[in-house]
Amino acid sequence: MKNTFAKISPFQVDPEKIMETFDIRDDDFSSASSQEKESMVEMHKSISFWQDAWRRFRANTVSMVALFVFLLCLFFAFIGPKFIPYTYGDQYRTAQKLGPFEYSKSEDIVRSIQDSADAFYATALRPGSLTAISKGSYYIQYGGKTYAFTMKKGAEKCILLLKQNDPEPLQLVSEKDIKDGAYTKYTAIEFTDTPEEDAKELKLIKRVFPHVFGTDSQGRDIMARTMYGARVSIIIGIMAALIVLIIGSIYGAISGLCGGVVDFVMMRIVELIYSVPEVLIVLLLQVVLKEPLQAWFQAHSATSAFVKAMSDLGAGIVSIFITFAVLYWVTMARIIRGQVLQLKKQEYVTAATALGASNARIIRKHLLPNCIGPLVITTCLQIPSAIFLESFLSFLGLGVSAPMASLGSLCSDALETISLYPYRLVFPAIVLTIIVLTLNLVGDGLRDALDPRLKK
Amino acid sequence: MGTYILKRIIGSILILLLIMVVTFMLMNAIPGSPFLTEKSTPEQIAMAEAKYGLDKPLYVQLWNYIKNYLHGDLGTSLKMQEGTPVKNIIFHQGKFALSIKLGLLALLVAVCLGIPLGCLAAFYRGSWLDGLLRVVTTIGVAIPTFVLAALLLVVFSVKLKWMPTLSGSLTDAKSYILPVISLSSYYTCYIAKLMRTSMLDAINQDYIRTARAKGVKTKALVLKHALRNSLIPVVTYLGPVTAGIITGSFVVESTFSVPGLGKYFVQCVMSRDYPVIMATTVVLSALVIFAMLVVDIAYKIVDPRITLTTKED
Repeated sequence: MKNTFAKISPFQVDPEKIMETFDIRDDDFSSASSQEKESMVEMHKSISFWQDAWRRFRANTVSMVALFVFLLCLFFAFIGPKFIPYTYGDQYRTAQKLGPFEYSKSEDIVRSIQDSADAFYATALRPGSLTAISKGSYYIQYGGKTYAFTMKKGAEKCILLLKQNDPEPLQLVSEKDIKDGAYTKYTAIEFTDTPEEDAKELKLIKRVFPHVFGTDSQGRDIMARTMYGARVSIIIGIMAALIVLIIGSIYGAISGLCGGVVDFVMMRIVELIYSVPEVLIVLLLQVVLKEPLQAWFQAHSATSAFVKAMSDLGAGIVSIFITFAVLYWVTMARIIRGQVLQLKKQEYVTAATALGASNARIIRKHLLPNCIGPLVITTCLQIPSAIFLESFLSFLGLGVSAPMASLGSLCSDALETISLYPYRLVFPAIVLTIIVLTLNLVGDGLRDALDPRLKK
Repeated sequence: MGTYILKRIIGSILILLLIMVVTFMLMNAIPGSPFLTEKSTPEQIAMAEAKYGLDKPLYVQLWNYIKNYLHGDLGTSLKMQEGTPVKNIIFHQGKFALSIKLGLLALLVAVCLGIPLGCLAAFYRGSWLDGLLRVVTTIGVAIPTFVLAALLLVVFSVKLKWMPTLSGSLTDAKSYILPVISLSSYYTCYIAKLMRTSMLDAINQDYIRTARAKGVKTKALVLKHALRNSLIPVVTYLGPVTAGIITGSFVVESTFSVPGLGKYFVQCVMSRDYPVIMATTVVLSALVIFAMLVVDIAYKIVDPRITLTTKED
């Protein structure tokens, strides 16, 4: 058979020969097993949008450092107060007008003996100051043991020391008996293991905590106040940015998607708000809103949890939010409108429309998720601008009201005594600057990471 | 061009009118009466209100404001300097002139420093100069105006005693220095950043390469070809800068005790001196709106490619 074919035509190909020359086996033409198929496909681990963005963000050293410092600031503002014994509102009578790391007279006395005792106690949380222990029953828990005792009469200007290994563990020492870090005279206090029913626990103070940033004229610890102020400022910034995000994105998306007359009218409104000198209106709004808001709080805070939360924030802060809701969303709206104008010509929007999706659904499911980059960037950059505005208003005496503190109000309080105590301004100002600086840098990094087209 | 400017002017007047209406409503929404003090009786308040026409219906009051403003009458002060025409307070007691002088100087410094610094940074990109400028400008835009003003005050006036503590009416040149620095620093830094980006953009364009290939000198290249093209973002930003400098002047004027319009505005909002609030708002708004208008026209001069009639984002 073979030879016959070969004779018929020299071009006729002999299949058997081909098989031999190219070393092709019969099973080469059987379908591939699933295992073989898999080995052929070059596998890449799929990277989501966020993973990709995070990879780019991580490569940006400046932004990473900024993010780290900002996280430190968050830690300082939100967790820091747990580590210091002072609070933002408490006035330490004996510790007024102290500089950074200065101690008051009574704090010095306590410091001189703090190493000789295991722990010491005071009635009120007045760390370091020698306060009176009034008549009554108290108990202390230390090292797994309970010390319960009753003061038959009050004691002035004294401190209660606990020395576990001493035959008389509880010693009440009066201020005048402490000299050069030692004391000669003390009153031993008898104690039992079981506290009486109305006994109060005495607060433990291990050591006198330094006033790292000093104290103000009313004896309030400036570091505690700065932590609190930073917390208020950050919360205001984030809330205001969220308000801007919600209003601006919805407004911009509607304007861009609807187009035509709707777009024209909506954009004229934006232009109008844009050309209003906002600070003049903000100042007026602040004054106008204060009293009605307070009245509203009083009327409704008992019944509604929302109003209660608002009234806890205070009228000043709520009117800052209102100001942002009224005036500051226009930039966001413009950016989102620009994005939506580009996006709405995409096929998936046409497909969604053809399938009968409503405008609201298209905005929610298709347009806004695709604007996520600009949304995140603009929101992030809005936070420092809100913090700026709040501090500006607090500086002018509007904004945050008396018992509360924000970084702006701390700075403006410090201005009154700036020539004598410049450090009172310096610390809150530095924290404010660092927060704004790091947020700006993180925002820049986010822009590079989420929108690589913008990167030069 | 002519029709465009006309259109914009009409639009600006409408916005100004609207601001008047909004301000009027806001002013009247403040609870209580401007004459309410601890000692005043209801009769006294009613008499004072009747004297200044505050007992009339709101729309009549608003109409009176608009009518008087069109005649150039800004009303008289109710409280702070009772009976004094507001026009005198704003224009003749030097408040307006002071604020304008301070603001213009700050604007001048911001532009004259910001643009060259941005150009330098772009031109020596990657060098130590660029790095230094980047650090300085990044920190500059993160320091609030009042913090900078206060720090300058402490360092140069209180500690070193080089500058006067109270700038007062800015009579000598020295007293201008600190207020102008603190007012302009943010904008100098921002303009420098903006300028750097847009200059880099311009330098990498094809026409620059062509010009370089044709042998144009570096100086001419930067000044003639790159600068003009990269100025547009900066020019656009000048509108908001004007508004911002007015805002900043509130803080700077109160820190350095300059008796300007900004400081006065805050005071009269607090004391609810209606005609003064209205007049200051309108004057300051008019200033900002006018600046925006100038910016839009300057736009056209810097870049003839921009057509003014169609405004697209």
